[in-house]
Amino acid sequence: MIRLAFTNFIRSGGVRIGLVFLLTVGITALLVGKQFSQRQQQSLSDVLAFQQSDFSRQAAIHHDDMGLLLYYLKFSVINQTRPLTGLSIGQRDVNAAVQSVTIRALEGQKYDADLTNPANLLLGNVDFSFVLIYLFPLLIIAFTYSIISDEKENGTWSMVAVQSQHLFCFVGQLFAIRLAVLLAVLLIISGLAISVLDIPLDSAFMLFLATSVGYMLFWFSVCFWVTSLQRSSSTNAMLLLGIWLALLIVLPAALNNYLMARYPVPEAQATTLAQRKGYHEKWDMDKTATVEKFYAHYPQFRQIPAVAMPTDWRWYYAMQQLGDDESAVQAGELKQKLQQREASSRAIARFIPTLHTQLQLSELARSGLGNQLRFLEYTTRFHEKMRLYFYPKIFANAAVSAENWSSFRVDTFADSTPIGPVTVLGPLVIFISLFAGLGWYRFRQTIYQL
Amino acid sequence: MALRIEKLIARQVWVTAFTNRAFLWLSLGIGLLLTYAAVTGWVTVRQQNATGRTYQQQARQDWLSNPDKHPHRMAHYGHFAFRPKAPLSVFDFGMESFLGNTIYLEAHKQNSVNFSEAGFSTGLLRFGEISLAMVLQLLLPLLLFFLGFGTIASDRETGTLKLLLSQGVSWRQLLAGKTLGLMAVMLTLYGPVMLATSALWFRLLEGTIGADQTIRLLLLLGAHFLYLSFFCVIAVLVSARSQTAKTALVSLIGLWLMLTLVLPRASQALGSYLYPAPSKVKFLADIQTDVLKEGDSHNPSDPHYKGLKDSLLMAYQVDSVQKLPFNYSGFVMAEGEKISAHLYNDHFQGLLAIYDQQNRFSKAMAFVDPYLAIRNLSMALSGTDFASYVDFQQQAEQYRYEMAQTMNDLQIRFISNRKPGPTDKPYQIDRKYWQKLPEFTYQPMAVGGVFRHEFIPLLAFVFWVGLLLVVAWRLTKTLKAV
Repeated sequence: MIRLAFTNFIRSGGVRIGLVFLLTVGITALLVGKQFSQRQQQSLSDVLAFQQSDFSRQAAIHHDDMGLLLYYLKFSVINQTRPLTGLSIGQRDVNAAVQSVTIRALEGQKYDADLTNPANLLLGNVDFSFVLIYLFPLLIIAFTYSIISDEKENGTWSMVAVQSQHLFCFVGQLFAIRLAVLLAVLLIISGLAISVLDIPLDSAFMLFLATSVGYMLFWFSVCFWVTSLQRSSSTNAMLLLGIWLALLIVLPAALNNYLMARYPVPEAQATTLAQRKGYHEKWDMDKTATVEKFYAHYPQFRQIPAVAMPTDWRWYYAMQQLGDDESAVQAGELKQKLQQREASSRAIARFIPTLHTQLQLSELARSGLGNQLRFLEYTTRFHEKMRLYFYPKIFANAAVSAENWSSFRVDTFADSTPIGPVTVLGPLVIFISLFAGLGWYRFRQTIYQL
Repeated sequence: MALRIEKLIARQVWVTAFTNRAFLWLSLGIGLLLTYAAVTGWVTVRQQNATGRTYQQQARQDWLSNPDKHPHRMAHYGHFAFRPKAPLSVFDFGMESFLGNTIYLEAHKQNSVNFSEAGFSTGLLRFGEISLAMVLQLLLPLLLFFLGFGTIASDRETGTLKLLLSQGVSWRQLLAGKTLGLMAVMLTLYGPVMLATSALWFRLLEGTIGADQTIRLLLLLGAHFLYLSFFCVIAVLVSARSQTAKTALVSLIGLWLMLTLVLPRASQALGSYLYPAPSKVKFLADIQTDVLKEGDSHNPSDPHYKGLKDSLLMAYQVDSVQKLPFNYSGFVMAEGEKISAHLYNDHFQGLLAIYDQQNRFSKAMAFVDPYLAIRNLSMALSGTDFASYVDFQQQAEQYRYEMAQTMNDLQIRFISNRKPGPTDKPYQIDRKYWQKLPEFTYQPMAVGGVFRHEFIPLLAFVFWVGLLLVVAWRLTKTLKAV
């Protein structure tokens, strides 16, 4: 019986077209992910090449002035791209994976935008997560919306009902066949992904896969429930498409509008303005007062005796430092605002499985806002490290040649925030049980209605 | 009198729609979404424009309140340009969220336009945003399909079609009537949107209504009317071709998914796959390489600037730059700014050309996909497209260049050419000069620019009107009653 049902399913014309379509788009998505990884690699080698040629060039020109040299040098830090990132590109195409900063005031450099074509961003990536989140449900709907209603409309349901001893099991089998076929497609794409993107079989990937399967099961449970309502094929189609529309287009977009209006970020502008003023106005203020404020922040530099140099770099970098110090309040507010956005969107997403899946997949692939905020945080620490390393050398006007400029590596940020499986899978499991339970309950009442 | 039958058929479509409970609920939902879109659009536009205005004024105040100082310090002090949202962005958010709105303008350096909404977004943004345009372009067509899938196919299934045709109703009358009926239903939803958009637009313009903005609004409303009408026609035609209502429904849903979900992403992905753009590091490094080739003003032994120096010394018949009648280092910086700005613009144009190539597929797709046609056109008319953004960027760069050169000019004219001694007061000029630099005000692109940039989508609209008429006309000859 189950073999017949399977052949019957797979032989229907639309099914094979749908499966081929899904596989094609899935493989395309892997190529898109591959290209994304390659571009990240490219910008990594671009930044290495630039740093190597630029550092030695600048060091040669400004060989006798450490302070002036450090005015120009840009140190780079990279937000590590994992192979998994190619599966869920998330916000990585918006936010730059490379930060290049001088040791001057940071706040004016930290938020520098990447070069992007907004038309690409607007229409979005065709990555694996897009295929999973948008297209798989459509196929699930297409394969199941008329699973019983079609038989009823063709007048064959009463024969099926009379002939099978466990009608409920039969319906279950019909669903199981479709689930198995689509799971196979998912596994084929994932298997290819492992080799195309060189994904290590670590716990992050396993959780990624489990989330994908959970997401599919969620949609199957929804379809199961809708089938249990025993409506006509057209009604089922409209109802399921309506659910798809609500979960993938309307609710997320509405939530996005809400978050934007609820948490506007004028703090961003406030920070840059405060930073500019904080630094520039010091040119017209008392030098000693500025340097004293600097010592208040970094008492350790008071001990370094002043040396004669063409420019008073201690004062200059003190001014720069105060640009950051005096915009710290605004910068803190900005950070807090962004964390609020992140926290509330995650909280709300728990109730909308599509959103939850997208956010968790990008979290696992390290391509969400959380990762970006941690990268900015790391950039701040990196910048501080560079400052503290070079301040004493500048103040003592150390010899430029004493530093090995060609060995300056590009720093890498590897995001290793732990991700618990319960947070990721919990909401999905709850929704799956809810809809499967509702469907089962309803079927018990309606299954023998002919 | 001549249109009596069409009117009757149209009326039947209208009545069926408004007695359908599901349709009433869906319309209510769409109505709520439209209201939500209008409200959030309004709030965001007001919010962002208020923020922009506040900080633009504050930045200007900061600039003016600088004391007497060396003009080059002012060139480094710099200024900000905040990008205002266009009034019609209340209707179509377009690319707004992916575009930066704040740029710091300083000497020697072209900064990026920062703080796009997308940079601060959790990834939710990638699901899209709800704007009036989004509801009209994406959701309303689907509603029209839901409403229209049965228009003729149901009649065929129930046998009414045969009756109608045998009573002397022609296919032309039938198709026209059904389409007009659907369009009438569409207008009951779209009409209020037109009114609301006009009202919001009117409020946002605060009484200063120009011809330019009016043309934009009218074109926008007209284009959306045409766009929605296409979907009425498509629904009826597909329904007329389908054996059963269910087939019609499934075909229409498939078509809708293809037009709004698959084709737009696929064509854009193809474009960006085939024409890779340089990384930011590479882009900036290339500019630097070119600048260094031309001449490095910060390198004392650079040949370009050495040549410049020699020719100046020769022309003024002096033996050192200190004896020149003007400030030499100001002159060098003016030259450096000229070179670097010129090279930056060249590279920037090159980058824009790559982006154009990337967008080429989805633009050409307008002939296959009316959704892409309306989307590009609507963004352009609303002033939320890439071209409007580039226009802002170029005006900001122009301002930056003039600011830097004004300061260089002040230095050339008013700063002494001798190096100050260790006990000298630093050289500076009077603060009254800071006022001489006019404030940055963005001049929105004229609507003529839209016709230039969106020529293809406009043409696609003409094409679609023609195509649907031809197809409908052909179908009137070939359709069968069963």
